Amino acid sequence: MTAAKLFRHETILAALTVIAMIVLASLSDKFFTAENLLNQGRLMAEVGLISLAMTFVIVTGGIDLSVGSILGLTAILLGVFWKNLGLPLPAAILLAMVCGTFAGFVNGLIITRFSVPPLIATLATLALYRGLAEGISEARSVRGYPEWFFFFGQGEVLGVPFQLWVLGIATAIAAVILGLTPFGRATYATGANEVAARFSGIRVNAAKLWIYTASGFCAALAAVIFVSRVTTTRSDMGTGLELDAITAVVLGGTSIFGGRGTIIGTALGLILIQALKNGLALSGVKGDGTIVVIGLVLIGAILVGALFDRNRGG
Amino acid sequence: MKKLTLAAIVGLGLMSGSALAASAWTGGDDLPTSPLACDGTPAAAVAKPYDGGVPTNPPDRKGKKITVVDVPKLIGIGYFNATSKGIAGAAAELGNVDAKTDGPTKANIDEQITFIDNYITSGVDGILFAANDPVAIAPVLKKALEKGINVVGYDANSTPDARQWFVNQAQFNGIAKSLVDNMAKEAGEDAGVAIVTSTFTTPNQARWIAEMAAYAAQCHPKMKWLETVEAQEDNNLSFNQATTLINKYGDDLKGIFGMTSVATPASAEAVTQAGKCGKIAVVGLATPNAMKPYVEKDCVKSVVLWNPVDLGYAAMQVLRAVADGTLQPGATSVKAGKLGDLQVINGSEILLGSPYTFTKENIGQFDF
Repeated sequence: MTAAKLFRHETILAALTVIAMIVLASLSDKFFTAENLLNQGRLMAEVGLISLAMTFVIVTGGIDLSVGSILGLTAILLGVFWKNLGLPLPAAILLAMVCGTFAGFVNGLIITRFSVPPLIATLATLALYRGLAEGISEARSVRGYPEWFFFFGQGEVLGVPFQLWVLGIATAIAAVILGLTPFGRATYATGANEVAARFSGIRVNAAKLWIYTASGFCAALAAVIFVSRVTTTRSDMGTGLELDAITAVVLGGTSIFGGRGTIIGTALGLILIQALKNGLALSGVKGDGTIVVIGLVLIGAILVGALFDRNRGG
Repeated sequence: MKKLTLAAIVGLGLMSGSALAASAWTGGDDLPTSPLACDGTPAAAVAKPYDGGVPTNPPDRKGKKITVVDVPKLIGIGYFNATSKGIAGAAAELGNVDAKTDGPTKANIDEQITFIDNYITSGVDGILFAANDPVAIAPVLKKALEKGINVVGYDANSTPDARQWFVNQAQFNGIAKSLVDNMAKEAGEDAGVAIVTSTFTTPNQARWIAEMAAYAAQCHPKMKWLETVEAQEDNNLSFNQATTLINKYGDDLKGIFGMTSVATPASAEAVTQAGKCGKIAVVGLATPNAMKPYVEKDCVKSVVLWNPVDLGYAAMQVLRAVADGTLQPGATSVKAGKLGDLQVINGSEILLGSPYTFTKENIGQFDF
C-alpha cells in the first residue's frame, strides 16, 4: 500500500470539495449558513451510514446491491411488528433491526458458502427483499407513530440533528476499523489478492461474512432513521439508494476492483455530492440539470484519479 | 345461491343499520352513497370547519410579486406536464407570480421531500405540491408553514393540517354521474350495461361503482346492469373479459363501462375487434393518449377524466388568493380566474368542478 498515493486522491477530492463549496456559496447566499448545512447533514445521514459499510464491501472487491431493499424491508417490519403484532415500539425497532442485520448476514452466507459472485447474490436479494417488503406490507403504509419516535429523524442534540451525531460516530468507528486494525488490513488484503490473503492465513470468509452483516446492520439503522424522519413506512422506501451509496464510495477513491479506498474518501465523496445537489438547487438549477452536473463531476474525479495512477504506476 | 346471498346482504344491511346499504351493482362497496341531482345542481356543501394548516407570521404578500415552486410527484410525464402548463398559464395571466416546476424524475417520496426542503431554504413564497405519500410529505410541508410559506396541494393530498388548501380534481359522485349520463346518452336509457373493473375490493373503483349504481337508480332507472367483471389492471385480461362479455350477452349488451385506465382502452379494442363499433358503447375513465385511436375511429365517443391543465390553473389561482388573503378559512368559494367560482368542500378542499369529458372535438389538444 502506498500511503502517499491514497493521500493524493483525497487531497484532490478535498480541494475539489472546498472549491465547490466556495463556488456554491457565491452562487447563493442561502447555501453557506449553519442552518442549511446542518439540514443537509440530516438529509445525508441515511445514504452516509450505508456508504460506510459499502466502503468495506467494495474494498474487498465485492458489491452490495441489496441495501436499499434491506432498508425497505426493515422499515416495513418495524411497522408490522408494532402495528399488526402489537409489540411495544422499542421492541419492534430492535427486532426489525435484527431482521435487517440478518438479511445482510444471509447475503454474506450466500457469497462465502456458495461462492456466488457478490454482484449476482445481492442482485437476487435486491429483488427478494423488496418482494418480501411488498408482500408483507400488502402495499399498505403504517402510520401514526408516537411523538417520541420522531426524535431519531427530526430531533436535535446540542443544536445538531440527532442522525448527524450517529453518522459522525459511525464514521469515526469505521475509519478506525478500516485504517488501524488487523481486521481493516484483512479487508484490504482480501480485496487486493484474495488467494494470497487465504494463503497468508487471513480468514477471508469470516471477514466477508462480518462485512456483509455490517452492511445489513447499517441499512437497518438507516431505515429506523428514515421512518422517523418521514413519519410513515412504505414498501418502496430506499429504492435506488444502493446506487447513491456506491456513487459516494467510488467518488471517494475506492477502487471497484478492491484493495484500495478509505473512509475519509467516502465521507468527502458524500459531502461533495450532497453539497452539489443542494447548492445547485438553491442557485436555481433544476433537478435534471443537477443530475447532469453530478455525473460530470463523477467522471471528472475518476479520470483525474486514473491520470495520477498512471503517472505513478508507470 | 343468489337468494342466499341476497338474504345475507339484507341481513347484514339490517344489522348495520339503515345508513349502510350494499351496492346494488357487484363490485361496489358498502359505504353510504351520495348521488348528485340528475340535472347537475351542485349538492349543498356540508358545513365542516376549516381543517387546513396556518402559516406562521407570513409577510404581507397582498398584490406583491411572489415566487412559487411547483413540486409534482414526478416530472417528465404527460399528466404533470399538463398541470405544469396550467400553472404557468395562470401565473402569466396573473402577472405578479414567478412560477416554476421542479421535481424528481421518478415518483420517490424521499427525493420529493428533498426538493421541497431545498426550496424552503431558498426562500420561496409559495409551494404547490402533488404528494407521493400523504403522511411522509407532512413534516416538510409543516416546516414550510412554520417559515411563513403558503402551501397548496393538488391532485394528491397530504394530511390536511400540513397544507392550507387542496384542489380536489373530482369527487366520486361527480365521476359516477358523468359516466352514467354519457352511457345513457350513447347507449340509450334502457340499455343493458356491464362493467370491467380492476378488482371488487380496489377502493377507488369500488367507490365509483357504488356511486354509479345509486345515481343510475335515481336518474336512469331503466338502465339494466348485467354484470361486473374483474380484470386486475392487466391489459390482456381486460381484453379477454370484455370479449367474454360481448359473446355472453350478445345483443343485450349495449354498453361497457371501463373503470381503470387499462380496462377502458382494452374494452374499446375488444369492441373494435368484435366488429361492434357503434352497437356497443364504451364509456370509461382513461387518459386521452390511450384512447385517441378509438375516439378518432368513432368507436368511443366519451372518455371521462378531469382536465389536468385546469387543475394546475386552479391550484395556482388558489395559491395567489391565499397569498393575497382573499381566501380565508371559512370561505365557501374562491374566484379562480377563467374557471369562475370554485366551491369549497370538506373543510379545506376546493373542488375543481365536474369531471371533464374528452370527445373527438377536444381530445387532440391533450397529450398525456
